[in-house]
Amino acid sequence: MGILFALVGAGCGSGGRLETKDLLQQSKSLQSLAAEGALLAQDAASGKTTRIYTQEHSSDLFQAASQAEASLKLAETGSALGPQLRQLSVLAGQVSADLERLAIASNEEQRMLTGELEAAARACQEIGEALT
Amino acid sequence: VSLKNILAVALGIFSAIGGFVDIGDLVFNTQAGATFGFQLLWVVVIGVLGIIVYSEMCGRVSAVAQRPVFDLVRERTGFGAGLATLIASEIVNLMTCAAEIGGVAICLQLLSGLPYRLLIPIAVVGLAVSSWVLPFRWIERVFGYLGLCLLVFAVAAIKLHPDWSQVAHGFVPGSHAGGTLMVYLYFAVGLLGAAMTPYEVYFYSSGVVEDRWGMKDLGLNRVTAMIGYALGGFLSFALMIVAAVLFLPNGISPQFLGTPALAAGHVMGQVGLLLALIGVLFAVGGAAIETSFAGAYNLAQFFGWKWGKKERPAGAPRFTLSWLVIFALALLVVMTGFDPVKLTEYSVIFSVVALPLTYLPILLVANDHTYMGENVNGKLANFLGVLYFIVILLIAVAAIPLMMLTNGGQG
Repeated sequence: MGILFALVGAGCGSGGRLETKDLLQQSKSLQSLAAEGALLAQDAASGKTTRIYTQEHSSDLFQAASQAEASLKLAETGSALGPQLRQLSVLAGQVSADLERLAIASNEEQRMLTGELEAAARACQEIGEALT
Repeated sequence: VSLKNILAVALGIFSAIGGFVDIGDLVFNTQAGATFGFQLLWVVVIGVLGIIVYSEMCGRVSAVAQRPVFDLVRERTGFGAGLATLIASEIVNLMTCAAEIGGVAICLQLLSGLPYRLLIPIAVVGLAVSSWVLPFRWIERVFGYLGLCLLVFAVAAIKLHPDWSQVAHGFVPGSHAGGTLMVYLYFAVGLLGAAMTPYEVYFYSSGVVEDRWGMKDLGLNRVTAMIGYALGGFLSFALMIVAAVLFLPNGISPQFLGTPALAAGHVMGQVGLLLALIGVLFAVGGAAIETSFAGAYNLAQFFGWKWGKKERPAGAPRFTLSWLVIFALALLVVMTGFDPVKLTEYSVIFSVVALPLTYLPILLVANDHTYMGENVNGKLANFLGVLYFIVILLIAVAAIPLMMLTNGGQG
């Protein structure tokens, strides 16, 4: 159990100095959250999900995106990676805000959020590709 | 063969299918599909064949010796090795039980909208009351049959129109496009661990004694293990295919237990979504009961206490207290705020480390004429048993290094 807690503890760090690999991981993680949010928003707008499921699942996604946003805002990196870090930080804020709105959005807003979250996912993917 | 017997076999198979998938299968199959597409389907085949080989073996041991496996483990391997096996299996059982309870609470949250932390104790009380009130056979049936709602993923997999030639390629070990070799191996180890979880064989072998199977039921044991687990394996294929078709192209890496249900809803609307959530709820709930019982079976059988659901709770007090304590400890673990998905990943990987301690004694006892008489392992059972034991040893050694090197499969 000691090993377990050590491993969990090791995975709980936030902020700090990010290298290319860390930033790539952050971009993938944020892309995943945005893409899943877009799928959820699309299905919610089409009546394929229940109201409770949309609220609860978007809330889970929102919390994860908020954590990513907070972590990116605190993070530091070398000057070469600065622009990507700033872009990702802004995107994390947008994704986080979109996911928060999704929980209570009307059908029309859900359709709009689908587009915004898809665009955010694409932007994250482009940042990730630029980093590789 | 009477109609009644056929019905009994069919019901046993249905509950085995519904009870096959637990939170470990849900997490690892969807993550593997979302990362590597169909490329790891072959690992599911190996894992399912492994659990068939060893479940058949331990079911046969229990039916012939009329004693559950853990009872024989201590007698055959001695106190020290038996105690090491007991401690390892109890830690893994507790972690798995905690993860499953977290999974039940998440499903209830997605269905009801009530707060997760409120639903954790409600889930534990519900599971404990079900365990107390329902006879053994009905626990298997209720959770197994309602777990069959997971078949919605099989329908979703077909309706998503995967490229079936690519699916077929996935059954042949080969490339690992989409991630590094280390991540590929990590998921291979996780998928094997999820399919061959130790609690399944302990629960299965104790169930044989609970259901009073004897020599006449060896055929039933073989059929239930082979068909039940094999068909249950199709649910694992379905989960991986759904993730490969829907999540991989969109760059979605499932981090939440609610994500697989989104796929069912995407394909079949609200009915699909609700069936998926109910299926996960009962599959994971049934697994929570199985893990708590497996832990109590092991303790009672090791120390020679009276055990079993065939007894009234007061008739086997230490056994009853054991599974209640396991539920209580699991409740404490989940209430600390551990993410159930992360807890699942750790519990599966740690269970892989404990696999040799579980499976070696079964292999030894199944080959011992003193216990088994003429029903010792045949050549095929021994060949597969030894082959799988070598595989188990290899993945047990590799599991934790791979988890650390890949940061839990994240690369």
